[in-house]
Parts: sequence; structure tokens; C-alpha cells
Amino acid sequence: MSTDVRIDGYARALFEIARAEGTLDEVEDELFRFARSYESSDALRNTLTDEQVPVAKRQAIVEDLLGGKATSTTTQLVSLVVGSGRGRDLPAIIDRLVARASSSKNLSVAEVRSAVALTDDQQARLAAALANATGKQVNLKVVVDPSVLGGLVATIDDTVIDGSVRTRIDQLKSRL
Amino acid sequence: MNTVNVLTVLAADDHHDIDPSRSVHWLWPEQAELIYGTVSSLIIFGLLFKFAGPMVAKAFKARTERIQDELDSSAAAQTEAAAEAAEIRKAAGDIESERARLLADADAQAEAVLAEGRARLDAEVADLNAKADADIALAGSRVGDELRAEVARLANAATEQALAAGAVDAATQQELIEAFIAKVGANA
Repeated sequence: MSTDVRIDGYARALFEIARAEGTLDEVEDELFRFARSYESSDALRNTLTDEQVPVAKRQAIVEDLLGGKATSTTTQLVSLVVGSGRGRDLPAIIDRLVARASSSKNLSVAEVRSAVALTDDQQARLAAALANATGKQVNLKVVVDPSVLGGLVATIDDTVIDGSVRTRIDQLKSRL
Repeated sequence: MNTVNVLTVLAADDHHDIDPSRSVHWLWPEQAELIYGTVSSLIIFGLLFKFAGPMVAKAFKARTERIQDELDSSAAAQTEAAAEAAEIRKAAGDIESERARLLADADAQAEAVLAEGRARLDAEVADLNAKADADIALAGSRVGDELRAEVARLANAATEQALAAGAVDAATQQELIEAFIAKVGANA
């Protein structure tokens, strides 16, 4: 079985569990946030993928991280993936799950990176603006990323709308 | 006393009235003496002609042949000398023409060397000029590049420093977010 098929299998299983639990929207959002944190933290990623660390220990770390901050379903799903030794594929599995969830609602995933958190009003207006701009209803996922410095970067499927300060600075550096 | 005088004395003995201590004539001897003297002279000349003549003729002939040989030798020597002189003149002429040819060759080679040297010198000067121009342009470009790089580096450093100091404050963050939403919405 190829890695891609395996990732898709895990994503489908997690999706079905969350939908059966009736917490798909909430679980999907929490998993998405956890995946972005997982990608940005080398220590967390190394710990959860270290074969020398016992599975029980890695699962305990997950429960410590998410316990009380996320739903029990989210915690159990992440623990399940880490316990099965697929921690390295966790972000890809979660992205497939989010895509599947959005597709089930005829939505496109819009990943928005911002240096600061967006208010609910800003998220609603931004979702509407992106929908108008792309012609697609979007499932907005906001990621707080200090490296953006300022402004926003929105990615919808293959379309990237970049209004970040970091990109402007990079362009200025290139011109200089 | 020679033979003529003896004959004269003997003839005088026949004429007793003649004083033997005196001459009959101051110029002419006695007739008999004259006859005897003439005959004797003729005999002597005849003998001389017979015996000494061939020797003298032979000597003259030998002398003539020797002189002729010497003349022939001289003529041959003169001819040989003339030939040698001609050879010498010819050799001298050849030497002169060879000298002229060598001088002409040397002049041609010297001219060719000078021309080649001038051409090479001109090419080297042109190369040096081109290289100098290229070096100047390169140096100018390098200075420009270094200046731009330095400006960029300073600008980057200033930007990073400003960002580290919180140049993008909360108000600015909100302005940027609102501007982004407005811009995306306007693109509908």
C-alpha cells in the first residue's frame, strides 16, 4: 500500500468518526490548527515521530497538549494516528480530512495566514470577499503565523492571494 | 811582328835601296805587303766565315728562338693574366651583386620585422586599451553592484530592525487586514 493511499485511508476514517460523533466542524477546525502547530514546531514533530519514544509516552504527550483545549474526539484522533506510528503523515492526513469535510459541504478550503488573530467579523467579511473573488464558497481556516509580519496570505486550492508585509519586504529586497 | 810586317820585311830585302827603318809611304805599305796582307786577311775571313759563321748563326738562331719563346711565354702569360683578371673582375662583380642581394634581403627582412613589430605593438596597445576599458566598466559595474548590495543590505537591516522593534503595531495590523479584505472584495 502506497503512502498516499494510506494517508487517504486515515483521513477517510477520521472523517467518518468525527461525522459519526456529530462534531465534524469543530474537530476539523481543531485538527487543522493542531496540524499547523505541528508543522511549525520542530520539537513537537521530532518527539511525536521518534521511534525511540514509546507509543504510550507519545500519546500521553498528545493528551497533555490537547487535553482541555480541544474536544475529546480531536484528542483521541490525534492520539490514534500517533499511536499507529503515522505521526510523520499527520499534517497530510488532517489536510485530506479538512478537504473531504469541505467537499462534503461544497466548500473550498481557504487557508489564511495572518500575523495576528482575526475577529469573527473579519473572518466573515474575509470569507465573503474570497467567495466573491473566486466564485467558490469557502471554508475559512485562519492560521496565526508571525512570520507574515503584517497583512494576510490566502490560499484557495491553487490560487494564492498575497498581501503580506513579508512578501512586500521580500519583493523590495529583490528589487534592491 | 805580325804576318804582314814579316812579309813586308821579306819583300824589302829584295830592294836594297829601301831603308828598312823607314816607311815607303805614310799611309800605304809596300805593294807586296799589301797583297800578302790582303790574301792573308781574305783567308782569315774565309776561315772565320766557314768555321765561326755557323756557330754565330746558330747562336743567333738560338737567341732568336729563345726570344721567340720568351715572347710566346709572355703572350701566354698575358693571356692568362687577362683571363685571371677577367675572372677576378667577374668574381668581383658576383661579390658585388651578392652583396647587393644580401643587403636587399636584409633590408626586406628588417622592414618585415619592423612592420610585424608595429602591427603587434598596435594590436597589444588596442588589447590593452580594450582591457582597460573593460576593467573600468567592470570596476564601475562592480562598484555599482557593491553599492546596490550595500544599500539593499542596509535597507534589509533597517527593515528587520524596525520590524523587530514592533514597527507593525496593532493599528497597522488591522489597517493591513482591512485593506486586504477590501481589495479582495473589490476583485469580485
